[in-house]
This record gives sequence, structure tokens and C-alpha cells, in this order.
Amino acid sequence: MKKILSLLMVMALAVTMLAGCGSSSASSDASGDASYKIAMITDSGDITDMSFNQTTYEASKAFAETNGLDFQYYKPTEDSDEARIASFNNAVADGYNVVVVPGYLFGNMIIAVADDNPDVTIIALDVSEGDLGDYTLPENVACFTYQEEIAGYMAGFAAVKEGYTQLGFLGGMAVPAVIRYGYGFVQGCNDAAVAMGIADQVNVNYVYGGQFYGDDAITAVMDTWYANGTQVVFACGGGIWTSAGDAAVKVDGAKVIGVDVDQSGTIAAKYDRDDLCVTSAMKGLAATVDATLQDLIDGNWSKYAGQVENLGLVSGDDPSLNYVQLPTETWSMTNFTVDDYNTLVSDIFSGNVTISNDTENMPATDITVETFDNIH
Amino acid sequence: MEDYVIEMLHITKEFPGIIANDDITLQLKRGEIHALLGENGAGKSTLMSVLFGLYTPEKGVIKKDGKEVKINNPNDATDLGIGMVHQHFMLVDIFTVLDNIILGAEPNKFGFLTKDEARKKVMALSEKYNLKVDPDALIEDITVGMQQRVEILKMLYRDNDILIFDEPTAVLTPQEIDELMKIMKELAKEGKSILFITHKLNEIMEVADRCSILRKGKYIGTVDVANTTKEELSSMMVGRDVKFAVDKDEAKPKEDVLKVENVCVKSKLHNKDAVHNVSFNVRAGEIVCIAGIDGNGQTEFVGGLTGLEDISSGKIYLDGDDITNKSIRYKNTHGMSHIPEDRHKHGLVLDYTLEENMILQRYFEPEFSNHGIIKKDAMREYSDRLSEAFDVRSGEGAKTVVRSMSGGNQQKAIVAREMDREHKLLIAVQPTRGLDVGAIEYIHEEIVKQRDSGAAVLLVSLELDEVMNLSDRILVMYEGEIVGEVNPKTTTLQKLGLYMSGAKRDTGKEA
Amino acid sequence: MNEKTSFSKRPGVQTLLVSVLCAAFGVFLGFIILLLMNPAHAVEGMGAILRNFFKYDNNITTLMYYFGSAIVKSVPIILCSEAILFAFKAGLFNIGVAGQYTVGIIASLYTSVALGWHWFFCVLAAIAAGAIWGFFSGFLKANFNVNEVIAGIMLNWISLYLCNIILGQETVMNVSKSETYDIAEKNASGLLPGFLQGVFGNNQYMTIAIPITIIVAVVILFVLNKTTFGYELKATGHNKEAARYAGMNPKRNVIFTLMISGAIAGLAASMIYLTGIEHYKISSSVPGMGFNGIAVAFLGGLNPIGAILAGFFVEYLTLGGQYLNTNYYNPQVADLMVAIIIYLCGFVLFFKHLFSQIGKNKAVKKEVQE
Repeated sequence: MKKILSLLMVMALAVTMLAGCGSSSASSDASGDASYKIAMITDSGDITDMSFNQTTYEASKAFAETNGLDFQYYKPTEDSDEARIASFNNAVADGYNVVVVPGYLFGNMIIAVADDNPDVTIIALDVSEGDLGDYTLPENVACFTYQEEIAGYMAGFAAVKEGYTQLGFLGGMAVPAVIRYGYGFVQGCNDAAVAMGIADQVNVNYVYGGQFYGDDAITAVMDTWYANGTQVVFACGGGIWTSAGDAAVKVDGAKVIGVDVDQSGTIAAKYDRDDLCVTSAMKGLAATVDATLQDLIDGNWSKYAGQVENLGLVSGDDPSLNYVQLPTETWSMTNFTVDDYNTLVSDIFSGNVTISNDTENMPATDITVETFDNIH
Repeated sequence: MEDYVIEMLHITKEFPGIIANDDITLQLKRGEIHALLGENGAGKSTLMSVLFGLYTPEKGVIKKDGKEVKINNPNDATDLGIGMVHQHFMLVDIFTVLDNIILGAEPNKFGFLTKDEARKKVMALSEKYNLKVDPDALIEDITVGMQQRVEILKMLYRDNDILIFDEPTAVLTPQEIDELMKIMKELAKEGKSILFITHKLNEIMEVADRCSILRKGKYIGTVDVANTTKEELSSMMVGRDVKFAVDKDEAKPKEDVLKVENVCVKSKLHNKDAVHNVSFNVRAGEIVCIAGIDGNGQTEFVGGLTGLEDISSGKIYLDGDDITNKSIRYKNTHGMSHIPEDRHKHGLVLDYTLEENMILQRYFEPEFSNHGIIKKDAMREYSDRLSEAFDVRSGEGAKTVVRSMSGGNQQKAIVAREMDREHKLLIAVQPTRGLDVGAIEYIHEEIVKQRDSGAAVLLVSLELDEVMNLSDRILVMYEGEIVGEVNPKTTTLQKLGLYMSGAKRDTGKEA
Repeated sequence: MNEKTSFSKRPGVQTLLVSVLCAAFGVFLGFIILLLMNPAHAVEGMGAILRNFFKYDNNITTLMYYFGSAIVKSVPIILCSEAILFAFKAGLFNIGVAGQYTVGIIASLYTSVALGWHWFFCVLAAIAAGAIWGFFSGFLKANFNVNEVIAGIMLNWISLYLCNIILGQETVMNVSKSETYDIAEKNASGLLPGFLQGVFGNNQYMTIAIPITIIVAVVILFVLNKTTFGYELKATGHNKEAARYAGMNPKRNVIFTLMISGAIAGLAASMIYLTGIEHYKISSSVPGMGFNGIAVAFLGGLNPIGAILAGFFVEYLTLGGQYLNTNYYNPQVADLMVAIIIYLCGFVLFFKHLFSQIGKNKAVKKEVQE
């Protein structure tokens, strides 16, 4: 993760410097940069969710600071399209002309405002065609989705290979991105178990919390799981990991798997235990923000304009370039090593391993998957 | 020079539109019982509030032991050794007697309660002044008289030597009053100075050494009780001569209006009946009184009669109509008027205006409403007419909030309302409770007028004077049963007392 | 004397002054908080909150649009506070408004999205649902003397889970978005008819909910002050025993009052959800609307018209938070300010007392001088 970031930083720096040197006459650098003001709007969560919003916020802010651009985030007054549109208009009224929005919730906002504000560039993460209905994106919008099923697959595969046989998946709300993570996780667990010949011993509990934050009810379910032998839970959705974490610290050897970003540091800090987080199924939110903004100020917006890009693996050899990955910097697994991981990535990249991105049906498995009713 | 423990000199306190205390001087000698007499609204409460620092007077000074003092709040008063037994006790129901006494002045060592010392002190005081209490009983379980003793002990426990009793007998039975009088004398003998607020002349004559009289905010004078008479005191208080006896002709009873047959009401406190097998009748044109010591089932019986409580068996007929299981509204609209025992609990909606209270049982009648909308004009006119007719005084007329009116005027408003409503039967429970002699005289006259105009009147009273003066027949209630019927003209207070204490029963009324 | 000073001493005027004082004090405390957080931008921050949607003063259409939004969003909180104050006048603390509001959400969204009813019947369904919910509390209170607060709180939870179950069905819930479907998409006839949308920058959420809210407030004012029913309710509220003595039927009145209160709460839900501005999402707590309504009712001096002003004011401040520059302040500062004002509402009575004391002393002094 950090690798991507630092790499991109260096690239960005290099590009800006080059641009600055190369085209001083056109003065696209100074005036061009200064003409961009970056705003970010939060979805239903806040910029301290240690997940989706926070990552987007930090990436946008860091980029703005690095490039000397104005930046501000906006928090809608409530979780509704109307409030998100109000935040957008507010940002535009304040003079912001680049708006970064994280999450599928922004689909309707984009439909409502994009055409009326052709001068405002909208960068939307996790917004898919499905969220936009039959709306055709105008030139000033770019949407990005991720192949979460790959990240989930890698996390599940790694966990089973590491030796865990009793696993759990705790999703936030059953929205497509979360489902892809979950079904990918199940597929990964299954393939690893089959490869190891222990499919009859591996069990996965599967549940959605119904919200993107932890609470007592969810913690109670997690308590039950861990007490009944679950060894590791993939906590997948905003701040819901706190419920898994709260339950895990009570049981010896219980572990969690993080999501979206490398959560090992966050989890270690919260519970003062650096062994709690096995790994994290990451998607390159920050990398996307960074690269897209960079391309924008470099005048390369056209490659994104009006596109919905589905980001996944871009390299079979260097996993750190990919938009979905496991964190190798904070690697803690011993039975499943970084080398094993690299092999897995190249297998997926090459197509030797196929992962379904179907969100309708639970993948067919040889391992046992027990699905629970949504907690809320 | 006299030895005055407290002097209030030339106190003047004004409120918007009214001068509550106008140049009032009150001097309390050490060790005396000093009565403060005045009608409701004469300014007694205001004067005491000034003494307690609740109001700051515009003019005048307060001296303690001859030295001028400033009393800005009740704590200052407490520091000066002034304590008060309020008319409505300030006790925590679910605490024990001992806890209530030490409440606010808890003895402690390093923050830990040291109740044993407190208990010793309380018991010593209780012994010394003959204030019998059970320190471990809960307040809610003890009688009103005992609660009052707890209030007195509270003052003594705090070493107060100036004791103010605010209408202390209003809530007591005759026996308890006697006992209180003894206690007060005892306290005075021990050097405590007592200020005794009342409008009951008998009590003043019995215990007080001197008496100061207020009337309409003005100071009328201070007299030595030994050299005065009830008549003199009352005329000083009211400003005219007051009759103590009620003028009335011989009753001319006609047909039965109220007929009660074997009525029983279950008790809320124990398994026995609070009212047991009560039967009697009240005829048009007579005043029948139910006498008895408080707590012998009168409240429950009236509750059963009016519908505020359920009766467990028996029959009630009003003018031949079986109203046993009829609703309160039915009774209200079919000839039953009821001056309730507790005017604050039942008789009035204190936060409503006078006019709104005047139509409390009649708001839905066509006279006062039209398709569910209240006719404000009719309500206003009616209220003004009744206030005029019954001399109900209030600050802002019909739109005065009743809570702000004096107790006497509140009671008069109820009396006015109940007497004006069309009725065949008037049930008057303690109709003069807490009122001054002027108002009592007035209400008594009205009740007699009701009788003479053909209504049946059922009077329930604890005041023996009232019972003897007003009624044509007396029924005595003891432990929920009617134990005797006497004729007020031929009986004596002593004989009545025997019935009331359960020592005597009429034949045929044996248990 | 009485006549001359009557204006400033009139209870209505006093209540108004006290409420304004509370609001002003709350805003002032908010400013102090801004000062503590970032003194350099406090004035600007406070200005942004108070200026609110007037920020769009260069674009009158947008300005009116967001003015309209503020009105639309204040409707449910106003109606909830009407529901609360109505019950309060009858001496009942209807904390169950939250639950009655929730069943109102169930009824309005289920009938409009899943059953495709016309909006008029959806509104009726929401009113009926709220009334039934109120009836439960009332019935328990009247017949078994169950405190309406306890019953209300329990019914709140029941309503929440019912709501999650019923609105969680796929006929109503757009599973891929985890919120209920757009009414416009599923059943356009389920949306409330528009009201002055042109005036308010074509705000599609401006509906007849606004005039209905005002009518409801006026009707409540009328019922409480002019009718025998209001007379009975208030008498019961002030002194239940005296009401019984007067031949009123407190049991029936308790049930009636809570039913009406619940009906208003149910109406409140339909008046916001049937505009399409909000969608229901599975939630683990009852909507705060019912609870904020309590504070708004008090801030409005327990007056139906006061509640309209108080509700709009609270919503105005809440919405003002988004205009804070987040580089200097956390946008939740506005929520904090609203919370403070709500907290101060508890002191409305205290202020009122203080105020009448000051009035008294002044009057006395004046009299003495005269």
C-alpha cells in the first residue's frame, strides 16, 4: 500500500517537475495547478471511520497539500441524496472544481449534478454502472470500481493456507462491493481448502451486520462465533471491524482480517495487540485518488472522462502495483508467505485462477458455508 | 425594657397592585406563645416569608435579641435559630422518622453517618418534651399527628429556639389538637419562643400569652389573651362583630332525597371494609351531619357516594333513582352537588382560571358550549355573576389563575359553583376547612339557605362546633359504621364524644 | 397598573422572550465553542452557520431551493413536537412519539412503494398506524396503569424492529443500495402533490406537507383552547383527580390523547417520507425525530405555533453546520450547538421564572416611585 503511494508520489513529483521545467512558456504549471480546488464529500460515515472515507480524505488532502491546492471536505447533514447534492452545490459555491466522492451512495448525486456543472470534475470511487442506472456519464465524471472479489479471494486463500479452518465473514450492508469481498473470500477459502485436501474440515460463517459500524448486537454475534470455535473473522465494511475486534480480544488466539486498507496498524493501536490482525483485503483507493488527480492536473483527464473503470490486477509480477492486494509490508503470516502470495497473484493475473464476481448467488463450495440472517 | 427575642419593626412589603404588609410590627418575647391572628389574605404568610428571608421588605427592620439582622434567605433564618412547622409537612414519605429529623443536618464523622448519636439526641428530646415518636417507623405509615411531632422534633434537633407554627391544627383531630396544645405549653416552659399562626380563636384562648392581629395587610394591635374575649379578637380580626351561633329555624323535612342502604367500601390499607353496612336517609329540607374522628371511613364513604371510589355492596338512591352504579357525570347532572374534602386534589384545577373552574362540571352543557366549542362569553358572564353573588375575590377577576388565589376564596369559588348548580342534594365535606371566621359564618349561612330552599344537605365535618351548630340530625361514624344518631338540640358534646370514640353504640347498631 | 404593564407580563409574550433568549444563548455558547476550537475563524464560522443558505445570494433560484429544503426538513420535527405538546397538555409525556413516527414510516413507505397506493391513502395509513401505536400506550396506561413513558420506550423498540423487518423486504428495500426504493420510481402517485415548487427554485420536495403542517398546528391550537375536548384534556393534564370529580372520563381521554398524538407523529413520518427526500435504511436505533421533538416543543413554549418557529430554527442551525469550513471546524459543531440549545430548553421554565421575577421587581419599584 505504502509502496504504491510512495511510488506514485515520486512519479507525481517527477511528472510535475518535468512539466514545470518543460513548459514554462505555457505556464500550465502554476496557473493550471492553481485553478484546481479539490473537495471531498463523505458518504454516510465520517472522515474518522478508519476505512473508506478516511482513506479517500487522507489521499485527497495529501495530494492537495503536496501540490499546493486548496482542499476541504464536506459532510452532508444526513444520509440522503438531497443532502449529498446540497454538499456538492455548497462545495461548488465555495469555488471547488474537483470533487472526490467515495462510495456507491453518490450515484444519484452524480446523475443530478454532473450535467449542470460541466466545469466541475467529479471523481467517484466505488460507483458502478449499476449505481448510475441508464445514465450516460458526461465528460467531467470518472467512476472507479474495484474487483473486490480478488482481494477477498486472496484474504480467504491466505487464511486457510495459513492454517485457519474455522473462519467467518462479517459484512457491513449487503451492497455489491461488500458481497464481492464476501463471495471472493468464500471462493478463496474453498480453493485453498480443496488444494490442501481439507475441504471437509473448513467451515465459514457468513453474515451481514446491516450497517457500516459495530455495535453491541453485532459484537454479541461475534462473541458467539468465537466462542464456538471461529478462529478468524473477515470484518468487511466501514467501522464494523470494531465489533469483530471487541469480540476477538476476549478469546485467546482469535483473529480478524481487515478490509479496504491495511488495518493492522489501526487494529493494533486500538487493542494494543499487534497479533490480532492477520492480514487485510485491500483495494487501492488512495492510489486511485492520487493517480487520477495527478492525471487531471497533468492534463490527462481524457483517459478517464466519462468512464467507469473496473480496477483490479494490473501486474502479475509486481503485486504492489495492483489495485487489489494484501499488505506485504506488515506481513505476519508464516505458513503462507509473501512468496506464496506473489505466486497467487500471478496465477490470478494469468487466468490460471478464476474468480467469479457474481453477486447474486453464494458460490458453490466443497467447504461448509453457514449463512446467518442479517443482524440488523 | 422588655426581653424581645425577635422584633419585626414597621415592615412594609408590596406586590404589584397590593400592599401585603403595611407598617407591621411584631414583637416576640422570650418564652411566650404569641399568636398571629388574621383572616386569609391578611398578610400573615407574607410576614413570615419576610422573617424567613423569602421576601425582602421595602421598609422596616428585623432585630434578634435587640440587634438588627439582615435575613436574605432561609439559611440566614436557620442560623438565627428560627424554625418553622409548615402547614403542609415537609417530610420524605419513604424515609424513617429518624432519617427525616436528621435530613439536611446529618451528623457525620469523615463523611460517614453517625446515626447512633443522632438517635440518642432525638430520643432525649422526645423524652424531654413528651413528643412520642417511633424513630424507625416510615413517615407514610404514621398518623398526621405524629408527622407533626416529627416536624417539631426536626426544629428542636436543630437547636432552634424560635419556633413558628403555621396553622398547625388544620390537619389534626380534636385529640391531637389537645396534645399539640400541651406540647406547645411545654416548649414555652422550657424557654422556647413560639409564634403561632392561626385563625382559630379557641386555640388562642387556650394556649397563647399574647396575640397580634392583622387585617388586610395592616397591623391592628397586640392584646394580652388573659384580658380579652373571643368576641373581641374576632371583631378585631374581621373588623365587625361576628356571630358564632348559626341562626336557623326548625327544619321542615319533606320527602327522602338520598337513601343509602347497606353500603360497604373496601379499604385500601387493610382487608377489612373501610365503610361497613352504612344505611341512612337524608330528606329534603334538612341538614344531616356525619360526625366522627378523622379516618373513620368518612372520606371513603363520600368517595363511594359520589363515585370517586367503588363501593363493594349496597344501594344508593337519589330522589328514588338508583344511582349505585351510575357514573360521576350522571350524578353530577342528576342533582348531586359536592363540595369536596380536599379542594386542591378534587375541587379545583389550580392551573385553570377562575372562570374555567366555575364550569368544571358544566362545560359541555348547551349553556357553555356549542358543537364542542366553548362559549367564552357565556363562561365569563357566569363566572362574574357567581363571583359577585358569593363574594369570590381574585386579583384579575374571571381570568385569575386559581392557584394564585387565597385558600378562602378558592373554597368560596367551589361553594359558589356547587350551590349554583341545579341540585337536590348538597354533599358538603369539611366545607369550612382552613377558613377564617368571616368566611365560615358566610358559608354556614349559605348552607342553611340551601336547606331552607328545599335541598337535602349531607354535611361531613370534623369540627364539633360546626356539627353542633349546623345540623338537624347527627350520625356518628366510627370505624366505618354508623354507631349512633343524635339530636343536636338534646345532646351534649360529651355524649357525642362517647360515640365518636367508640365507647357507646345505639341499640340495633351493635357490631 | 395592571392594564399598562400587561404586554410584557402576558404569559405568551414571556414565553416567546424566554424561547428567544434560550436560542440566543445557545448560539452564543456555540460561538464560544467555535472560539475555543479555532479563534481565528470563529466569526467567519458563526457567520457561515447563521448565514446558512443565504450563501447562495447571488443565485436566487438556488437560495430559494435550499430555503425550501430547510422548510421541508423541518416539517417532521415540527409535527413530532406538535404530537408531544398535545399529549403534554393532557399531562402525558409521550416519549413514544419516536415509535409512532417509526410505524408512520412503515405505513407510508409500505403502502406507497410495495402496494402502490395513492398518496392520500398512504397518508391515511400512516396516521392510522401512528394512532394504533398511540392506542397501545394509552390502553396500557388507562387500564393497567402502565406508565406511558415505559410503554412508549418499549413500543419504540418494537416499532424499530417491525420497521426493519417490513421495510427490509425486497418489495420495498432496494437491496443493492440498502435503502428503500424511490417512490417516484415505483409509484409516482405515492408522492405528495407539489406546493409552490416554482417559488422555491423548483424544489421537487416542496409539497403540500408544508400547508398541512401549518393547518395541523392551527387545529391543535384551536382544539386545545376553544373546544370542550381541549378543556377536558387540559383539565385531566393539570389535575386528573379534579377531572374525575368533574365527571370527565380520564381513561377515555388518556387513550384519545395518545391516539391523536400518535396520529400526528404518524402524519409527521408520511409528510417527510412521501416527499421522496428521504429513504429508510435499516437502522439500529429509532429515529431521533421523536426525541428532538420534545426539545422543540419546549423551545416553542409548548405552543403549537411556537413549535413551528422552534422546529424551523433548530433545522436551520442543523443545516447551517454544513457551511462551516471543515479545514477549521468539524461540521458537527452545529449539531453540538443544537444539542446545547436543546439542553437549554430544559431551562425554559427556569428562565421564565427568572423573567417574571425581574418583571415583578420592576413593577414594584415603579409602583413605589409612583
